[in-house]
Amino acid sequence: MSGFAIVLAKECRDNIRDRRTIVSSFSLAIFGPLLFAGLIALVLNTTIGESRDGFSLTVVGAENAPGLLAYLGTQNLQLTEADLDDPRQSVVDGTHSLVLVIDDDYAERFASGQIAPVALIYDSSSTGKARRNLSIARQIIAGYGQQIGMLRLHLRGIDPAITQPIRVHETDTASSAARALSILAVLPYLLVLLIFMGGFYLAIDATAGEREHGSLEPLLTLPITRSQLVLGKLAAATLFSAVSLVLFLVSLRLSVPFVPLQQIGMSLEIGIVACLQIFAVSIPLMVFGAALLTVAASFAKSYKEAQTYLTMVILLPTLPLVVTQLLNVEPSDALMLVPSLSQASLISDIIKGETLSYARIGLSVLGTGATAALLCALAIHLYRRERILI
Amino acid sequence: MIRASGLMKSFGHVRAVEDASFSAADGRITALLGPNGAGKSTTLRILSTVLKADSGEAWIDDHEVAADPMAVRRNIGVLPHAAGLYSRLTARENIAYFGALHGLKRSILKERMDGLVERLDMGEIADRRVAGFSQGQRIKVALARALIHDPGNVMLDEPTNGLDVMSTRALREIILGLKTEGRCVVFSSHIMQEVATLCDEVVIVASGSVRFEGTPEGLKACTGQADLEEAFIQIVGEAEP
Repeated sequence: MSGFAIVLAKECRDNIRDRRTIVSSFSLAIFGPLLFAGLIALVLNTTIGESRDGFSLTVVGAENAPGLLAYLGTQNLQLTEADLDDPRQSVVDGTHSLVLVIDDDYAERFASGQIAPVALIYDSSSTGKARRNLSIARQIIAGYGQQIGMLRLHLRGIDPAITQPIRVHETDTASSAARALSILAVLPYLLVLLIFMGGFYLAIDATAGEREHGSLEPLLTLPITRSQLVLGKLAAATLFSAVSLVLFLVSLRLSVPFVPLQQIGMSLEIGIVACLQIFAVSIPLMVFGAALLTVAASFAKSYKEAQTYLTMVILLPTLPLVVTQLLNVEPSDALMLVPSLSQASLISDIIKGETLSYARIGLSVLGTGATAALLCALAIHLYRRERILI
Repeated sequence: MIRASGLMKSFGHVRAVEDASFSAADGRITALLGPNGAGKSTTLRILSTVLKADSGEAWIDDHEVAADPMAVRRNIGVLPHAAGLYSRLTARENIAYFGALHGLKRSILKERMDGLVERLDMGEIADRRVAGFSQGQRIKVALARALIHDPGNVMLDEPTNGLDVMSTRALREIILGLKTEGRCVVFSSHIMQEVATLCDEVVIVASGSVRFEGTPEGLKACTGQADLEEAFIQIVGEAEP
């Protein structure tokens, strides 16, 4: 075995036995997608689905408007008829959350075609579903009003269309997967972060940790070249990052079917081919990440110090993502040279099911690969200096 | 065989080693003796190729440390100041890692390992993870790790630091054993008693330069003191401005 392979094997074995490394490298990968899918499922379920669940309306003076009451009855809501002396006070007290008051002259005005007033009493400062309930109530009552208005026009021989000079037709050309991605837009971002997290602790342990424990000095008295030593450590961090990504993709593939995207007319299927593609385009980024972390950790003398540096460094590759998102920059060929940004963009294309441009993949591999090679060279250089020991 | 000639090393404005020249022969134990901060560790670090001297030369057998560090590394076994073991690996795994990096074949590695485990009396701890080992056990593992490739030259930086009486005695036996095998042994220390019982040659270092080189008996004769400690104080005292 070459020195490179021996170092690689030792770092892997050593770190597999470290609970801290394992937890930080792989727990996000395994539980991240589950949490993610769970949260989205929760959001979807509360915003759509049985959204009128628990909507209750108290009606005072129901006998004045049997038509409106019948309409309300068809709307899948909980109706309570009550005879309150002071409906306002009952809302203030909190006995009722939303009260619809139908005046005594409603019937007469309704019958004669005048504007028939009803009153909604609510407390907008109250927490919970007050605001949502209010807008549902407004919608339902307006819907009834519109229906009656149309009928009245019909009866007078007028086409109700006259009240609607313009109607807007909307066509959304995004594929349903692309629409799903707007919800899942954080996914490429999460993947990039995950690739960096995968090698995070191993990079610290193999560099600053080794310095802190005093094992670096005897190691440097061995007949192994610094480049083999450093590349072995780098490869171990890259490998952990790769395993972390594989676990994430498996976990994601298993948890995405549980997100009820079809309820909002969206679909998202991350197939095995897509997973392989995501993995393949991420390989240069893994090397880049491992090298970046190793270089940064090489400046630290202790575990704690390295942790402080690396927590800042790990934010670095997410910056291009945030900036382009904020400035709304369209992905261009030049941007494909930027590490992390290019991978996020390619991953996003893969998830959307769009055709991949080989030119862009090439640029991504070239840009990230070249930067990674530079960082590897820098890491080796740092280990050739005797400062690494002092 | 180890030879140093006019070694000099500064860290920033601090001159750690001023002028270190001495030689250590095969089959003999040579002690680098000096007060704290005299430059003993720095000298050993230069000899073990992890630091580069600003000027001067040093040879391990026939290899110059700066010119041919790889050859030097193949011929030295180093026990640094901190044992520096991997606490999540077992004693055997720690030793095997270094053996493998020395390019030892699996069969030779196993044979040597078994020999060292027996010789250093590590049978009980050999397959346990290093985390939780006593200082004495750590030193043993680190020493086995330094000897796994059967080096002709062994350098030990304050090896008895933090050891209890029993472990110190055991270590002394091991060091004497290394001498009997014909190795060149250099160790640094500031404990006079240890030096008196173990070494054949004394090199006294103070403020970064060598003040005396010779046998313990020669040291007594040179200073006219019957007691080694007094002789040492006299030599080091002369060095102080």
